[in-house]
Amino acid sequence: MKAEAVRLPEELQAPALTAGLVTSGSLDDQVLKFPAKKPPLAWYVGFAITSSIMTLGLALIGYTIATGIGVWGNTNPVFWAFDIINFVFWVGIGHAGTLISAILFLFRKRWRNAIARFAEAMTIFAVMCAGIFPLIHVGRPWVAFWLFPYPNQRAVWPNFRSPLLWDVFAVSTYFSVSLLFWYLGLLPDIASMRDRATGKIRKAVYSVLCLGWRGANSHWNHFEKAYLLLAGLATGLVLSVHSVVSFDFAVSLVPGWHMTIFPPYFVTGAIFAGFAMVLMVLIVVRETMDMKNLITAYHLDVMSRVILAMSCLMGYAYLMEGFTAWYSMNPFLHSIFKNYFMGAYWWAGWLTLACNVFIPQLFWFKKCRQSYVWMIVIALAVTTGMWFERFVIIVVSLHHDFLPASWHLYKPTLVDYGILLGSFGLFFTMVLLFARVLPVIATTEMKGILPGAQPHVVKSEE
Amino acid sequence: MTEPKNRGMFGVVGLFESADALMAAIPKVREAGLGKVEAYTPYPVHGLDKALGQRRSPLGGMVMVMGVLGALTAFLFQWWISGIDYPIVTGGKAPTSWQAFVPIMFEVTVLFATFTAGLGMLFFLNKLPFFGHPVLHAQAIADITRDRFGLAIEAEGDGFDVEAAVRALEAAGARPIEVIPQPSFSGPMTARYLERSLLGIAIACAVSGYAMYWAVKLFPVLPPTSHMLVQPRLDPQKPSAFFKDGHGMQLPVPGTVARGYLPLGLASQEEAATLVNPLAVSEKVLEEGRQAYMNHCVVCHGPLANGVPTLTSAYGAKPANLQAKQFRDYPDGKIYWTIVMGKNAMPSYAADLSEEDRWAVIHYLRALQRAQNAKPGDLDGVKLEAGSGPGSEGKAP
Repeated sequence: MKAEAVRLPEELQAPALTAGLVTSGSLDDQVLKFPAKKPPLAWYVGFAITSSIMTLGLALIGYTIATGIGVWGNTNPVFWAFDIINFVFWVGIGHAGTLISAILFLFRKRWRNAIARFAEAMTIFAVMCAGIFPLIHVGRPWVAFWLFPYPNQRAVWPNFRSPLLWDVFAVSTYFSVSLLFWYLGLLPDIASMRDRATGKIRKAVYSVLCLGWRGANSHWNHFEKAYLLLAGLATGLVLSVHSVVSFDFAVSLVPGWHMTIFPPYFVTGAIFAGFAMVLMVLIVVRETMDMKNLITAYHLDVMSRVILAMSCLMGYAYLMEGFTAWYSMNPFLHSIFKNYFMGAYWWAGWLTLACNVFIPQLFWFKKCRQSYVWMIVIALAVTTGMWFERFVIIVVSLHHDFLPASWHLYKPTLVDYGILLGSFGLFFTMVLLFARVLPVIATTEMKGILPGAQPHVVKSEE
Repeated sequence: MTEPKNRGMFGVVGLFESADALMAAIPKVREAGLGKVEAYTPYPVHGLDKALGQRRSPLGGMVMVMGVLGALTAFLFQWWISGIDYPIVTGGKAPTSWQAFVPIMFEVTVLFATFTAGLGMLFFLNKLPFFGHPVLHAQAIADITRDRFGLAIEAEGDGFDVEAAVRALEAAGARPIEVIPQPSFSGPMTARYLERSLLGIAIACAVSGYAMYWAVKLFPVLPPTSHMLVQPRLDPQKPSAFFKDGHGMQLPVPGTVARGYLPLGLASQEEAATLVNPLAVSEKVLEEGRQAYMNHCVVCHGPLANGVPTLTSAYGAKPANLQAKQFRDYPDGKIYWTIVMGKNAMPSYAADLSEEDRWAVIHYLRALQRAQNAKPGDLDGVKLEAGSGPGSEGKAP
């Protein structure tokens, strides 16, 4: 038989993206039932915990604003500390979502469809967490709008040559575009929810949210084009945002920051940390919401492989950093680089290296890519490691500045820790709310890739 | 079904089980030519645009135009602000150097382009939000957004034949088939509704205006916004408890010595005679001395230091003729003492001339005395020196 001859060996065939029998109808029944159902007790317990942590964080932010940022550990010469570390950390977490929704969409990686929705939602929540930190770091957040170029009676404009202003544009653009992208993907799903909803209020809310989407092909025509364009634009955006964040450092003259490798190095780190967070959260979603047939072992395996690849790239970036320091023959750079691993904060340097480069190498083993325990351990290590990487870059480079008289060891205060913890509280509170209010899996996109979803023969019309 | 030509009909929609069935049905239904044929699907089905003869989406061009516009807007905005309206020189770059504008140009391009793609698609091309569309009020919509594929024949003009449309869809294999009427709009735009909305808007304006009034009034004086106002400092026309004496400006600590004004520490002019001019003679020192002399001394002692003042004689003072032998033989230290302490009608110049300036003035005075009391023999020395130095014309012939 001819068909027999063409058949590919098993390892080259595209793997099944769903397990068991999944149809469009069963997909809706499985995913869209959650918003209509009362959450289980475990959800309430989780929500109580995360929202208390969030409240603690918000209270400490209130304390900071009322008292002044002197309540933090920042002092000469380490003026950038936890706030900027947390900002870079959270913006980075967000990058996995955009990578999955945009770049993998352009590459036609169809496994992205099952995890894209959750990852995109995490992008938005992560950027929300990130946005808090520069806002409170300005000290007087009620005049933070001065950052934007608007005509004012003082007749001054912001400095367009400052990377900090580029940051304002990059992060606010990133947030609005991510939100739009996420909402567009949600639109047809909300339309499905509208038509399933029984309550009058629910139906009205969903009707308004989906703008009266009716699935007409002339609409899909424009919708698909818009989605493709958005994916293309978001691809450039996601690469630019963390590059611009890295300019905050690279454009300055501080040894250890002033390096050309910073933009790609930051983008890689962002995707790395983001994927670890997505992996962790999806494992929880898969188990607690019974999504084993949609988020399969294959999905987890692929995500683990992405983390492994990013880990190797991170190792390369660290090596290049060391090489640049050595090759520059610049004694300041030598000293900073020695400080990373042999200075007062040597433990942070080694922790970063261990968590980001050594521990993720376990993903070479298939066993680790299939076991929840290993995946969660490695993902936690990556999250910790990436936080400490920013700690090393920011604090270690700053605490020995050009004036040895002002060298100073940075010590965070309890308020610093509390606000960091509170940002995690905010993130997971939003995640929990999202999991209960909106579809956690992009059902419309999944329907389109189910077996038999697309017509077999597309006749070319006359 | 009572009247075949129905003005109040939107169209007929039939449902199919699979995308394949839908694709197979489209050519048959289109051939019948009964009205506009449109498909309603739960997800985008590839190839439907071609089958339905729908044109390509013009979104790409729109996005391109808006993206370019975004780049231009961002560039011109930054160029005008940074280069013309409020030039800030950083890093020694020209105010209009464009390279630093690129990151923001990129972001604004993406912003314009994505919002055109997303919102342009929804609002402009798809004409959403639209909650009154007949299909949304049909039974079929629940199946369409779930897992069925709807094919609709929609009325175009008055001559829509409902029965023929139903037959055509039946023949193509659709079931069930639903006839969709134009929904009757009771509509929210009644006079009463408008009245109520206007009243609501008026109340909202009044409330928000009042809230804004108090917000603007109170916001700057409530903590923490007021922290900058309540710091300890001296306000004009107000008592201040910051310093014990209530003054803002404080006297220096007793014994404070300003730079360049070290006290002399000598008892008499005779003692001062031993002081030695610490400055070496140089063109720079002489120039400094000349300037200080011209600023402070010349009015009384005259430009040649011969005691002929540039002032009128109305003052009646008799300034010393510093060209006199007595002063030519005076030790430097005694002149220094006079500058610091004053003599006869001459006041102290200690506050006006720094230590360095005083010694420079003395060098200049010596130069003046030398110039006014030249001897024939002086010239030989000059000749000799000029001959040994560069640029000497005297020895040339």
